[in-house]
Amino acid sequence: MNHQRVTELIERYFDGTTTLKEEADLKAYFLREDIDPALEVYAPLFRYWVRESEVRAPQRIRKARPRRLPQLLLALAAALALLLVARTVHRWENPKVTTFPVAERQPVDWSRHEITDEKEAMRFLHGVLKSTSKRITQAPEITLHELREVERMLD
Amino acid sequence: MESFTSLVDTVRDRLYRLALRMVGDDGEAQDVVQEVLISSWQRQEEIVQLDNPPAWMMRMTHNRAIDRLRSRKARTNYERAAAVPDRTQLTPHRLVESEDTLGHIHRQIARLSPEQQSVLQLREVEGLSYREISEATGLSLDQVKVYLHRGRKQLRQLLLQERIVEP
Repeated sequence: MNHQRVTELIERYFDGTTTLKEEADLKAYFLREDIDPALEVYAPLFRYWVRESEVRAPQRIRKARPRRLPQLLLALAAALALLLVARTVHRWENPKVTTFPVAERQPVDWSRHEITDEKEAMRFLHGVLKSTSKRITQAPEITLHELREVERMLD
Repeated sequence: MESFTSLVDTVRDRLYRLALRMVGDDGEAQDVVQEVLISSWQRQEEIVQLDNPPAWMMRMTHNRAIDRLRSRKARTNYERAAAVPDRTQLTPHRLVESEDTLGHIHRQIARLSPEQQSVLQLREVEGLSYREISEATGLSLDQVKVYLHRGRKQLRQLLLQERIVEP
């Protein structure tokens, strides 16, 4: 481009009437070594634009993608939390029956101890009566023993 | 998926340059672009259907940068960063001697409004047409032309008044 053409383009450039192609020509001209001294004053501006177009995004942005793993972990955590809530609700509605309900302050499910078989019921009753009878028999013996102990202490 | 990845590859640097120009801080510019890219990844199927996906992403970047400037009251910081050192001491001769001529232009541009900077950036650096700039910024075609004209005029005054010439 000759001096006259560049001068004309420069005027139109600052008036905002140049095309993209003409602006590209101006940039190319001002990157040259043999710039007309009268136009040198504009060179830094065009060099500045060229330098700016060479700026590249840093590596951090190059890798920018939504992280799938945290989403998966969040979903797993949510599922676990849901399971825990369901388990707690289930336990609350169906309390656990333990071997030592009184000691563990658990409600007693008496239905578990109900005897439904007739023969078993008879055996159980027999056992209870026998145990009661034995303890009743033992009672006077224990009382006599205790009285003797008292007498011995008084003597 | 593949087309969206290529789209991101072609537009990433441009988004970063625009964000950097507007917020004036590398870290914040990276955050802006990161947000735009992640949001775009989540809406990729929608985006690839658009007429001009890069313009849409540029607009998102532009808007987010504006939001940032507003929310962090960045204008103050940004003007502080853009402030030119004591101008009475910068005689043309000293400017000629300075190695930071381009930096001086940069600071002058940073003193323009965010919209003006955005328009200049998209035209001068990215080489977009007026229509594309309008799509990317949400400004009307007339506004784009006015901002560009005023921006260039101000830069010309700077060049002529201060006689910034590289050593």
